Amino acid sequence: MTRLDATRFVVQHCADAAIVASLGHPAYDLFAAGDRPRNFYTWGSMGLASSIGLGLALAQPNVPVVVLDGDGSLLMNLGSLATIGLLQPPNLIVVVMDNELYATTGGQPTPTASGADLAAAARAMRIERATTVRTADELRRAVDGSTGAGPRFVVAKVSESTPTVKPPLDYVGIKQRFMAAIGSPEC
Amino acid sequence: MTTDSSATSPRQPAWALGVCDGADAAGITDVVYVPDNPLSFVLGDFERRHRHIRLILATREEEAFGIAAGLYLGGRRPAVMLQSSGLGNSINALTTLVVPYKIPMLVVVSMRGDEGEWNAAQAPMGQAVRPILDALAIPHVTVSAGEAARQAVIDAAGVAFASGTPRAVLLPRRLTAS
Repeated sequence: MTRLDATRFVVQHCADAAIVASLGHPAYDLFAAGDRPRNFYTWGSMGLASSIGLGLALAQPNVPVVVLDGDGSLLMNLGSLATIGLLQPPNLIVVVMDNELYATTGGQPTPTASGADLAAAARAMRIERATTVRTADELRRAVDGSTGAGPRFVVAKVSESTPTVKPPLDYVGIKQRFMAAIGSPEC
Repeated sequence: MTTDSSATSPRQPAWALGVCDGADAAGITDVVYVPDNPLSFVLGDFERRHRHIRLILATREEEAFGIAAGLYLGGRRPAVMLQSSGLGNSINALTTLVVPYKIPMLVVVSMRGDEGEWNAAQAPMGQAVRPILDALAIPHVTVSAGEAARQAVIDAAGVAFASGTPRAVLLPRRLTAS
């Protein structure tokens, strides 16, 4: 399963969800998989995708929120797992596209290439619904089903796929379109 | 919620009551924070008198700015409260998320390293806080007296949410350690 395959799969199965993508390849693949107003593409703030998704999930408890993170990105902000485990937002799913590489910066291996287990880290921080998946079928089982029993954390082991498109660099436009789509007032 | 600042005691300093009253009056809905000694008065007052404002603990300041950004995207009016040392942990979140996406928030900074500091290791960052905020074009005010805190917070939050920018209110040690 390539990261683009997995991203397409998540977009199709989480049609109602607000999706927050980490910078670089996860955001490029989300754009390629299907640009939609409920996509929030980050262009920086490496590591913060799960934090943005957490704030969004707390603000909009009736909106399913999916975060498309990277293994290198999440490793920059492992404390986020403790905060998600503390607050237990039931409408949050964090999907880590784990290619075991810093692919956006040239393919250097991350610690997950040497066995660092992000799902175990999530469980240790009280995110009990934490799994590692390797196939589309396992990914479907991980993201399907009802919310309401705490946050979910899915490590999708993926192979690298070279992105060919990028979302627009219109930061404010991305924000305004996203907020309008989920019904947030600009306050 | 109403306030009675005449009830101020050493446990309830006027500046802390003012920060909380100002945040409430400005419509702040959520406070994302990393703990700090002076801020404990603020957090305690939120819990006592402003329970409708949600307190969210972050493990690190940069994370707090990410959570606050998500709260804003979801339609809330967030504040981030942190010690000045933690501003150093937050610069990438400010420069690549909060500023370019024009995400407004109130930022309340408990100062270390300014006048009255006993720990020299805090001084370099403390002295750099204002130049850093200036370099990022993030407006800031310094509260010089307890009775000025409420209005400073109201003004900063009001302009922040009207203009799509973060605004900072700095609480100097001379105020918070007195």
